[in-house]
Amino acid sequence: MGKHRTIEEQELNLVPIMNLVTMLIPFLLFSAQFIEYAIIDSTLPAISNDPGPGPVTPPTETLTLMVIISEKGFTITGAEAVLDPEDTVTGPIIACKGGQCTSPDRFDFKQLTKRLARVKDRYPKHEDLVLIPAPWIPYEVIVLTMDATREDRDQRDAEQRARLLFPNVVIAASLE
Amino acid sequence: MAGLIKKKRRTFGQQGVQITSMMDMMTIILVFLLKSFSTEAVTVQASSDLQLPVSSALKVPKVAVNVVVTRTELLVDGELVLTLEAAKDEVTGGPSYRFPAAAKRDNKVMPLFERLVQKAETAKAIGAKTGSDEFGFKGQVLLQCDKRLPYSVIRDVMFTAGQAQFGEFRFVVIKGS
Repeated sequence: MGKHRTIEEQELNLVPIMNLVTMLIPFLLFSAQFIEYAIIDSTLPAISNDPGPGPVTPPTETLTLMVIISEKGFTITGAEAVLDPEDTVTGPIIACKGGQCTSPDRFDFKQLTKRLARVKDRYPKHEDLVLIPAPWIPYEVIVLTMDATREDRDQRDAEQRARLLFPNVVIAASLE
Repeated sequence: MAGLIKKKRRTFGQQGVQITSMMDMMTIILVFLLKSFSTEAVTVQASSDLQLPVSSALKVPKVAVNVVVTRTELLVDGELVLTLEAAKDEVTGGPSYRFPAAAKRDNKVMPLFERLVQKAETAKAIGAKTGSDEFGFKGQVLLQCDKRLPYSVIRDVMFTAGQAQFGEFRFVVIKGS
């Protein structure tokens, strides 16, 4: 009579896999990115030798849209154009909340976007804007202003993309 | 009689380490880290003096000359160029920062200007030798600035870079919601 062979079940050896995982984890930890970065493009106006990308679309009507950031708040001006002929009440200045522009959260970015959306309704082909901050304005306010002038997130198209306002920003020399 | 009753001896055999649960945990951590793996053109040194502003911008950073302006230092491609000095904000009266007057000439920050001119010449030489536009000089600068810096500091950096033929600026920000 033949011997009855019993096949013993071998247990899976997880030790080499553990070695591999233990070595991979520190490597992946070093290259993990938990914060995402983005960039905002800008050029210098006529100061640098490089003329930069220039306006995207040739304007049919002349408009040099400028946003001045100062202790009064935002001042919207446009050379050679009347920006908002129906607006005779609020004027070109968007004051800070509480009347004092002492911190970034005092600036009224929503109102700035709304006013620029009206300008965009009148000049739909223009995409350029000149930003003129005062010397003491914190960099954070400048970035938030560029966000407010780039797009209107309250107006979206059928594909849920925010309405583009003035994405080409040029930062000019500040007021002294 | 009692001696005849043999007591069963308990043998304490070696028990293998239970690593199945540890494997489960490691696998989940590995999958999570694989998802977060990224090779980006921008590396930001974590520092209390460099807090980038949050923005709704979506453009992905690309490789360019890296200029970092913290509250205390100015670095170009990781090398210290100049130290900023503390000042008092004339309007708000709070703490502010500026470049030392001795480092400026005709509104240019001279140590930064010299370093950027060097970078521009190196890039042009590489572009000429390779004959390819891809490696040529493009005049682009990646600017990482602390959000608390006054615009006067940023303006000086931009003006100096413009004089050194770097006319295109890419402000690095943290992607917000």
